[in-house]
Amino acid sequence: MKKKTFSPWVIAGAVLVTLFAVLCLLPLIYMVAVSFTDSETLYIKLKDLRPSLYNYWYAIVKRDFGTALKNSIITVVGSCLLVDAASAMAAYGFEKKPVPGKEALFQGYLATMMIPGQVVLIPMFVMINRVGLTNTYAALILPMVGAFGIFLMRQFMVAVPNELLEAAEIDGCGELRRFVTIVLPLVQPALITLTIFTFNAAWNNFLWPLIINTRSEMRVLPVTMSTLASNSTTNYGMVMAGATLTFLFPFILYIFLQKQFVEGIALGGVKG
Amino acid sequence: MTTAPSVKRKMSPRVRRQALIGAGYIAPSFILMMIFNVTPIFLSAYFSFTKYNMASPPVWIGLENYAKLFNNRVLTEALSNTVRYVLITVPAQTVFSLLIAVFIAEHMKNRYGSFLRSVIFIPVIVSLIASATVWNIMYQPKGGIINQFLNFLGFDSVNFLGKKAYALPSVAAVAIWKGTGYYMVIYYAGVMNVPTDVQEAAIVDGARPIQRFWYITLPILKPITYMIITLGIIGSFQVFDLVYKMTGGGPGRSTYTVAYVIYTFAFQDKNYGYASAVAMCLLIVILLIHLLQSLFFKEKD
Repeated sequence: MKKKTFSPWVIAGAVLVTLFAVLCLLPLIYMVAVSFTDSETLYIKLKDLRPSLYNYWYAIVKRDFGTALKNSIITVVGSCLLVDAASAMAAYGFEKKPVPGKEALFQGYLATMMIPGQVVLIPMFVMINRVGLTNTYAALILPMVGAFGIFLMRQFMVAVPNELLEAAEIDGCGELRRFVTIVLPLVQPALITLTIFTFNAAWNNFLWPLIINTRSEMRVLPVTMSTLASNSTTNYGMVMAGATLTFLFPFILYIFLQKQFVEGIALGGVKG
Repeated sequence: MTTAPSVKRKMSPRVRRQALIGAGYIAPSFILMMIFNVTPIFLSAYFSFTKYNMASPPVWIGLENYAKLFNNRVLTEALSNTVRYVLITVPAQTVFSLLIAVFIAEHMKNRYGSFLRSVIFIPVIVSLIASATVWNIMYQPKGGIINQFLNFLGFDSVNFLGKKAYALPSVAAVAIWKGTGYYMVIYYAGVMNVPTDVQEAAIVDGARPIQRFWYITLPILKPITYMIITLGIIGSFQVFDLVYKMTGGGPGRSTYTVAYVIYTFAFQDKNYGYASAVAMCLLIVILLIHLLQSLFFKEKD
């Protein structure tokens, strides 16, 4: 039964799946190719393709992509640190501490995962405006904490043995030290998954940064990207260089942390 | 569930101390969750009964916003566009992702198969705005790569995003390109959990591949299919980034969607009360979809 038989159907199927994979890649190959041309027409000939970084230089220096890149990196790093810390702490509190009413609160948290973003958008906009936090990194970072991170971390917190924590306590290991030196290393895989999920969410976040940080020096990559026209008078090479820059960072992470990347994104959508 | 009933009545000093420490751990995320996830839901419900432009305080107008929902052409068009968009994206991405996942799991359990899975997932990590930008250029009537290809085959150029009939399907195509890899990963994990002995017994009994797919694989994957369809509907129902960047709702209002309409009512017309009423309706629709899904799940398990 183990013997491989390649029926014509299987070969046809393999060709179709391969074709689909090629279709997935083509737009991105096209994006990178155009970003290296200095032609403003889309009729690219092979002779127009030259490995010049001019479009990248132009996008970064002349069209605010440098600023946007800096803002995106600050937002992403801040979001990952905050979400990881707040979620791990909350999960530890929920799973290992006898807080009264914690299960009801946790169920409430889970319910918030069903709320579509558009519902909370307007009140958040009003509140952030009221406290004068528009055009700040805080406006982008603080709302990133959500129920999913706490839920994910709690799943892993269950596996931390109570005996280990008790033994450490008897040995005189303080509360905070137990959390940092025993609990956090044990839930490290979940922290990596959560970091990638948060990275992806913060890096690609568009609508919220669009409405809350309107000053050009506070824009993040997708927002700067969206301000570039893509009509016939556009400098296509520069636009594609911007798109390639936006894609590059998640792509590098994906290559090195593929398993965690897929996990982080898939779990984030499924939410348990 | 971990605290014994007797503890509840009167906490020992040690337990009370632990409870306080626990509350301290929960507090930072609790405060942020309350501000950004919980309060806005109630505020949104409140705004939906008011006339509010942020310049002056909200004025209570009762059900007026809701009464104005149903005879608003912009909104009814947006709703029908959104439903059409869902009906294009969800079946396509569900079927593609299912077929690819099952085929790779059954016939390509090798390095090439896992390479293909990695490649098909790549569009998932591209931001929606970057995807929209790249596809916009590909869709260009003059010189866009797709039209160059059509011309090469001897067809006339198509103005994909400029014609009412084509704009919405063209946006949907990008969503399918971006979404299939995501659902494929979920399906693939599901297929790998299918017990192999059932499949092998079927092979011994002489079941052909299509029979095995139809009578064994598909029924086993049913819960995952329900989940994927639900996720797909909810995701597609909230489409915003693609529409914003690719068509701006046009041509005419042919690609206005519910999320896009909320955005324009709120942040272009400064009509926050009315936009909130639309958002509350969106919330009800999404909650209904969740409810339907959980009912289906109960029935199956």
